[in-house]
Parts: sequence; C-alpha cells; structure tokens
Amino acid sequence: MRSVHALGVAALVMLALPDPTFAGEPKSGGILRVYHRDSPGSASIHEGATYSINIPFMPVFNNLVMFDQHKAQNSQDTIVPDLAESWAWSADKKILTFKLRNDVKWHDGKPFTSADVKCTFDMLMGKSQQKFRQNPRKSWYDQVNEVTTNGDYEASFNLKRPQPALLSLLASGYTPVYPCHVSPADMRTKPIGTGPFKFVEFKANESIKIAKNPDYWKKGLPYLDGIEYTIITNRSTAILGFVSGKFDMTFPTEVSIPLLKDVKSQAPNAVCVVEPVNVSTNIIVNSSNPPFDNLDIRRALALALDRKAFIQIQFEGQADIGGTMLPAPAGLWAMPKEMLEQIPGYGPDVEKNRDEARKLMQKAGYGPDKRLAIKIATRNIPIYRDPAIILIDQIKSIFIDAELDVVDTAQWFPKVARKDYSLGLNLTGNAVDDPDQSFYENYSCGSERNYTGYCNKEIEKLFDQQSMEFDVAKRKKIVWEIDKKLQEDVARPIIFHSRTGSCWQPYVKNITIMSNSSYNGYRYEDIWMDK
Amino acid sequence: MAVVNYDSELRRAGAHATHGWRRLAFLAQRYVLGTFGLIIMVLFVWTALSADLISRYDPLTVDSAHRLAPPSWAHWLGTDSFGRDVWSRIVHGARISLAVGIGSTALGATLGVIVGLISGYLSGWVDLVFQRVTDILQSLPLLVLALVMTAALGPSLHNVIIAIAIPLIPTVSRVIRANTLALREQPFVEAAKSIGMSETRIAIRHVLPNTLAPLIVLATAQLGSTILTEASLSFLGLGIPEPYPSWGRMLSESAAEYVRTAPWLVIFPGVAISLAVFGTNLFGDALRDILDPRQRG
Amino acid sequence: MFAYIVRRLALMLVTLFGISVIIFVLLRVVPGNIVDILFDAAGFVDPADKANLEKELGLSQPIVVQYFNWISGLLRGDLGYSYVSEKPALQEILPRIPITAKLAGLALLFSASIGIPLGVISAVHQGTRLDYTLRVISLSGLSLPSFWLGLLILMASVSLFGMMPIFNPNPKTWTEAFAIYAVPAMAVGFRSAALTMRITRSSMLEILRQDYIRTARAKGASEASVNYHHALKNAVLPVITVIGIEAAFLIGGLIVTETVFNIPGIARFLVEALRWRDYPIVQNLVMFIACVVVFTNFVVDLLYAAIDPRIRFGD
Repeated sequence: MRSVHALGVAALVMLALPDPTFAGEPKSGGILRVYHRDSPGSASIHEGATYSINIPFMPVFNNLVMFDQHKAQNSQDTIVPDLAESWAWSADKKILTFKLRNDVKWHDGKPFTSADVKCTFDMLMGKSQQKFRQNPRKSWYDQVNEVTTNGDYEASFNLKRPQPALLSLLASGYTPVYPCHVSPADMRTKPIGTGPFKFVEFKANESIKIAKNPDYWKKGLPYLDGIEYTIITNRSTAILGFVSGKFDMTFPTEVSIPLLKDVKSQAPNAVCVVEPVNVSTNIIVNSSNPPFDNLDIRRALALALDRKAFIQIQFEGQADIGGTMLPAPAGLWAMPKEMLEQIPGYGPDVEKNRDEARKLMQKAGYGPDKRLAIKIATRNIPIYRDPAIILIDQIKSIFIDAELDVVDTAQWFPKVARKDYSLGLNLTGNAVDDPDQSFYENYSCGSERNYTGYCNKEIEKLFDQQSMEFDVAKRKKIVWEIDKKLQEDVARPIIFHSRTGSCWQPYVKNITIMSNSSYNGYRYEDIWMDK
Repeated sequence: MAVVNYDSELRRAGAHATHGWRRLAFLAQRYVLGTFGLIIMVLFVWTALSADLISRYDPLTVDSAHRLAPPSWAHWLGTDSFGRDVWSRIVHGARISLAVGIGSTALGATLGVIVGLISGYLSGWVDLVFQRVTDILQSLPLLVLALVMTAALGPSLHNVIIAIAIPLIPTVSRVIRANTLALREQPFVEAAKSIGMSETRIAIRHVLPNTLAPLIVLATAQLGSTILTEASLSFLGLGIPEPYPSWGRMLSESAAEYVRTAPWLVIFPGVAISLAVFGTNLFGDALRDILDPRQRG
Repeated sequence: MFAYIVRRLALMLVTLFGISVIIFVLLRVVPGNIVDILFDAAGFVDPADKANLEKELGLSQPIVVQYFNWISGLLRGDLGYSYVSEKPALQEILPRIPITAKLAGLALLFSASIGIPLGVISAVHQGTRLDYTLRVISLSGLSLPSFWLGLLILMASVSLFGMMPIFNPNPKTWTEAFAIYAVPAMAVGFRSAALTMRITRSSMLEILRQDYIRTARAKGASEASVNYHHALKNAVLPVITVIGIEAAFLIGGLIVTETVFNIPGIARFLVEALRWRDYPIVQNLVMFIACVVVFTNFVVDLLYAAIDPRIRFGD
C-alpha cells in the first residue's frame, strides 16, 4: 500500500491553480450561471441531508460562525466569525457563548436577534412548538442542554459535558441560522435569510434563482448580481453545456474524473480542481443474521476487497484508501499509513489476502463446490450501483455468488431499517471532518443512522473520551485507535473515499473548493467575474 | 365485418401453384422485405438462444485493466466503463429483449383473446363491462401505463413483462371481439348450434381457431413495440435492473456520460434495438399483407 | 346526432372515472411513499414524526376518503398540493403544459408535412422501386427508439457545432428557439411521420380503388387530377383523424425525448413525480393526459359520424 501516501498527496494537486495574487480589483455585477445536478426536495437546509440543497441555498444564509471560505482544509483553526462577532468557552468548558452582531436584518426587513438563534437550535433539538418535517442532524446537539440568551445580542450553548467539536458543527454549511418569524414550511419553499443573496424562485426540475441582497450587512458584498442554477440531471448534457459556454461553472464537486478529461480537452481554458468530497463508499454488513453473523465470513469479505481496482475503474486511480476518517493529507484525523496497512484487507498483496480469505471461508464450510449465494442491496443510482457491480465481481474469488438487489430510492431506507439485507452498498457523507460527527452518527449503539446495528460498549466509551478531549494531538491518538478497531470488527468496511472535480470558466474569480468537506464552502459572497 | 378465408387468400397470393418448400420459396420471392425481416428475426432468436456460445466474455465480468476500450479484435464492439465486453452484453441483451418481447406479447395476447372471446361471444352486460375497461386501458398511452405499472410492481424481468403485457390486452381483445362477432353469424356456427353443441365448445372448437390468423398478424405487429417499450422503460431507469445487460439500460446513464469519449457505448446498443424491431416490423408487415387483406396497403 | 353526442359524452365520463380509480389504486400499490423518501433523505426516522407527516399529507386517511377528497377537489378545480414542492399542483402543472404542447405541435407538423406527401407518392407509385424504398424508410422510422435518435442528434450537434441546445424558457433568437424546440420535436416526430406515411399510403390506395375514381379515369381525367384532386381530398380525412389520435399518444415519445434533451415539460415531470411518489402530481397529470386522449377520440368520432351517418347506428 505504498501508494496510499502518493494518492494522498495527489489530493491537493490541482489541475490548474487559480491565481489569487493577480486577480486584480474585484468587479461587481453579472449573474453566475451554474448547472445543478438534481432537483432538491426543498429549499430548507436544516431539513436536507444532501449538498444538492446546501450549494444553492447556503448563499441565502449566515451561520453563527463559519469555516474561512478561502482555506480549503476546514479545521477548528479556520473558523471565522459570521453572525457572531466573537465566541468564548467558559472555564469548565461547558458553556460556549457568542456575541452577536447588532446590524443584521433578515431579507424581509426584520432585525436579527439572539431570539432567532435560540429558535433555530431549539427547533433542531426538537424543543419548539414548530417542528421540522425531518431533522437529520438532531444528534449533533445531543450534548447541548439548552440555548440561552442574554439580551438581544448574546447567546450561549449550555452543554452536558465539554465538546470541542461543537464549534466545527456550528461552522458547517449545514447549520445556518433561521428566522424565528418564518414557519418551517415557508423555509422549505421560499426561504428568508440574512445572507448575501435573496431567494428569488425555485422551479422543481428546472431552475433555482437567487439575487444580490443590496442591504447585506457586509458592506460592498456580494459582487455578483445573482446566481442562477439550471437543473440538468444528465451529467454529460450538463458538461456539454459548460464546455459550450452556457454555464460559468459546473455544479461544484460533480465532475467525475472520466468527465474531467473530457472537459479539459474541450475547454482547455477552464479552471478545474480535484478534491476529496469526504464521502466514503462502504459496505453495510448485517451481522445480526447468517451468514454474516460469522466473524470469519466478515473478515473474509474484508480480505477479498481489491480497493485499487475500485479506484481504477471509477476514478482512474484518483481516490483515497483509508478507514472511517478521511485519509491525509486532506483529512485531519486519518490514522498513519503504517497503522492502516496492519488492518486485514489493507495489505498491499491482494492475492495473499484472498488466499487467507478463502481459508476463512473454507473454515466456515464454503468452498469451490459449495458457494455462498447472497444478494447485495443497493440504491438505483449509478454512484451506488457501480461499486456494487465491482464488488460482486470481486467476491466471486472467495466462493461468494452475489446477485444485485437494486432498490428504488423510496424503498431503500425502510429496507435497511428493517435489516432486510445481508450486504448493502452504501455511501456515507461527512459534513464536517470531525470524529464526533462520524462516530456517533454511524457507529454508536442505537443511533438512527447506524444502519448495521453495530454496537460495542468498549468503543462507545472511547467515543466519549475523544469527544471531550481539547488537546488535538491526544484526541488524534484515540481516534486512530477507534478507527482501527472499527475496521477490524468489519462493522462497515470502507472501500474508498471519493474525489471529484469542479470546473469554472477562467473569468470566474475567488472560488475555493474545500478539500475535506463538500458541504461547507458555498457562501459565494466574494466571488466575482472578470468580464 | 366480413370473415376472411385465409386459405383462399394464400392462394390469391399465388401460393396455390406449389406446395411445401416450394410454396415457401415462392412466398419468399414475392415478399422480399418480409423474408429479409424473417431472416433478421431468426438471427435475433438464434443470438438469444446461443448467447453463451457466441459471446466471447462473461457479460458481467468486470475488467479494470480494459475499461472503455474502443472496438478492436479483442473486443469487437469495445468495452464499457467497467471493462465489460459490449459485444457479449449485446448478445446476452438479446435474451432479455426476446424474453420481454415474446413474454409480454404472449401474455397480453392470451389475456386479450380470453377477454375478446368472452366479450364477443357472450355480449350483453359482460361485453359492456369489458368494453368499458378496454376503453379505459386504451385511454392511457402505453408508456405511461407501463411506467406506473413497473413502479408499482418493482423492477424485475417478470414485472416488466407484466407491465408491458397489460396495455396490450385492449388492442388484442378489440380485434378478437370484432372477429368473434362476425363469426357468430357464420353458417357453420349456426350449424354447430343446431346440433346442440354447447356454447363453450363452439367458442373453443370453432370460433377460436378462426381468429388465429388475425391474432398472429396482430401479435407480430406488437412484438416490435414491446421491445421498444422495454428499451424505453430501461432507458428511464425503471426497467430491468443492472447488472443484466438490457439494451435500453446500456444506453442510459453510464452510456450517456460517455457520449463523446466512448461513442460505441451509444451506437451499438441502439443499432441492436433498431435492428431487432425493424426485423419484426418487416416480417409483421409481410404477414399482414399475406393473411389480412382488409388491411392490405 | 344529438343523442349520439350525449351518449358519447356519457361514455367519456365513465371512462375518465375508471381511469381515475385505476391510477389512484395503482399509485397506492407502489411500494414506498413520499414520507419514506423524505425520511430516507434525512437518514433516520422517528415513528412519531413519520406519523405526523403522514397525517399532515392526508396519507393516514382511509384510501376511499383520500380518493373522494381528490375527486371532489378535482371537480372544484383544486388539484391539491405537490408533496415535494408544497406548491399547488395546478401551479406546478400548468406552466409545463405549453412547453410540451409546443413540442407535440411541432412534432405533428413535422410528421404531417413529411408523412402525407411521402405517403401519397408511395401510393401513387404503388409497387415501384420508389414505393419500396419509401416503405422501408417508414418502417425503419417505426423501429428507431426516439431516445436513441435524440442521443444521436446530441452527439452530432456536439461534434458538428461544438454545442448543444440547453433549454431556455425564453429563447432570444430564432436559431435558439429552433434548437430548443424544433430539434427535439423532430426526434419525436420522426416516428409519427413514419406512421402518418403508412396510413396515408393505405387510405390513398383504398380510395384509388373506388368506383368514382375509376369513373373519373374513364371520363378521361388526367392522372394527376385523379390522384391529387379526387383521391387525396378523400384520403385526407382518415389521415387527419389518425394524426389526431397519434397526437395523444405522442406522450410516450415525449417522455424519453424530454429526458434526453432536458426539457422541463409535463412528460418528464411525470417520471420525476413518479420517482418522488408525489401522488397529487402523478394522478392529476395522468388524468390530464387521459382527458386529452379521450377528448381527441371524441372529436375524431364526431368527425366520422358527421361524415358517415351509418356509424351512429353501428356503434
């Protein structure tokens, strides 16, 4: 696995670098035309779990704090003020207090106050009268006792125990502040924010339009007059539109590696960037039913994976191999390469691994004459289906004959929740590159998104231990330990972490694509066009 | 509606002069296009039946080293984004197209015949009800009904067959009903009645055999459209799921992504669909010309 | 004639009622509903939240009540709200109709202007090499899947012009309008042109065999006058009626073509709404399509009845 490092380095190599120093004085005006990959279900960021919503609507809002929009790698150190001018932890690290700006108005003219902050987070914690239809990130606030206000311009988060990661969660593009006086239903159809752009219209399957907020509280911003997203679900149609100049920018992180070559050959001037998206493709294993209740068979499965072949086919080699946490250098929390290679199935010699896997299978009673027949469930979407097809092909070598069980999007979740599968191919996106977000959500006992039902009290204790640790170096050590154990238990074997491209025309200035998250970098208040 | 004497029609077409193979040869000469269609159909069926023999690779085997290879000696029609051999997938795809084509046509025709016979023979309120149901089914475009049906049943081979078969029922039952109505007035049916044959027996022994010819004409004509409908459903992602090599599916999503970098992924499955449908259309046309002079152009 | 119209109208209502029942039941058979999809997107489900949402959307009511609510709303002109966009269904459906109607209209125009002349030529030259060639072309037209034709057109447009039409509701130039509407319309219309040609040919042939044509010939009318004056005039009616019926059934071709060309008309909307289990959109759209079909059939029948009185008694 010598190449893991090389792959990691490649993560930051951009195909072309926008040159910020010679960009000149920003020019105002112009409508940025972008295509959108699909029609989002609503306009409400809090009720969504896909960046199909974040990307077009993040410019409508502000957060309390946000990740610096021009530092590609999000971390605690890149968090900057937004609606909060400053923030401070109490001495016992259980209260996080924000001082709010007093010059901010909602798009409908009402003033922004601490009540709006309280409303937003009460709603997220399920404490308010008005409810979201769906509240996918409720668990982010599990450690928050309550949000209190002190006057109109101060709000505090009172925690059950210290949780340094909370600040990162608040900085995510997933965590805008909503107005108290607008109902969740209205936020889904015509959102009101405080951000640089105002919502104009959203036509399902057609377009989304937002326009400059002339009264934006950051004086002189935004530069653009508006942003127009045209919804085009067929990728190659969309790319052709970009190549022929109908769009100023592709949908961020939506250009696959094979299509990127196409773009570069057709539009050699286009600026393209390839970054990890912090979405892992993984196998969910139903360990509560035969045959995968047998750890030997689970191990054999892990050993049979040829991760490089996956990456070769889907990414022409450009993706990363790692555990649960996004691999370095883009990822902050990934275990070192030496540690990773000790985990069964991550060793460089695939044939040797598979020999071992076959022995495990034979031990469990299977062999060339007695093959194991299973179904692999996955959603009817190419990014799910494609790796499943490769997986089926690979596990043939360890006496498993798998058939693809393609599940319609409408039935996927109920099926998984019923544990009505033996293997499933799944994608897990991480909004923030932080262990708290990933571990609790996907591996803690009883979490709704812990699809496999994996539950290990020992590891659970470690989750809490790392979560309370303010010392980053110490926290990393614990996180590595946890990640290694999760892989060894074959809780949810991670196949790869994908990378994708984003492209824009050379006259579009000041865009930064984040390198360890695809949910946080779309405020677009200081993007401008040189034409 | 008049009843057609098919034997005399064949004779009128000139086939009376000869017998057996020579009669066939004569027809082949007279209906060149139909013969050409028949040849395509035979090839199509043969391909489907012997797919394992003529394909050169397993249609499902992934080969990361040879992805998106252009057509070459090793891969006659190139490979797809998984490195799967396009020729082998098209050859195996013929099975799916054939299974759906024949399966849904047979199912739709059988149900249509039953409905048509009952409707035409019993008349009265049964006929009235069947007629209205037929009206209803015919008021929905084939693809719309098939779309909702596949969504309701879930994507799988036999569900697609059912979803395409149901909209065929009214087309078939209409023709059978009309034919049955006409036959009922025929002397030989009257005769059978007068010697005390039961209604069911008359329907099965006398009426049914005499509706076979228009049925064959109709079924052949529908075969092409069922193949096209399956391709459309699969193209929309509602047909037969991956990894089975359905032609329509081969053209959708992944192929669309490679429209320019790998045009062979777009061209060959489309050629396969068009050719198969073209063959059945040519043959169906000739068959209609021979057997059903009322529609003769 | 009046009694006939009344009877036909009554039948029409029965048919539409039947369609509404069938589509309503079929949709509820479809596994999974919008609630599952919304919660799937969220990644987890709280049974209480789910029950709330089902109640909010009216999905917890007995199916008969749901059906009654829908129909009574429909009669009042209230189509309900889209589950996904939460906008009135009417507001979602109406603006898409002109887009699809324009495409369908252009496709029919294309099909008639190509199909009728070629059909006449084919009939007049029956049995010649020209007739054969034209018949083969029309059959091949019936054999090409319209989505494949669309993909080929896109491929060609990109390699020839380095660009492709991207839908824009308000095209600025004539060329843009042409690219946006006419090109996809041709992809759909190709198939109907083939069909129109076949029907024109056979109805021309039938009329050319009629007595009055023979009489005209016997009276020494010129070949051209017989073909184009006497025969074509009489052959046009069946052709027009068939084009009318075909108009309703163009929707199948439009579904795939709107998908290929990314056109936000009602045909593609139907597929998207089905995917989201957006019942109010799907059932109203299907009813709309059915109404168009049934109404076209009605008009066609009336036309026939007006011309051929025997039909009124023969039905």
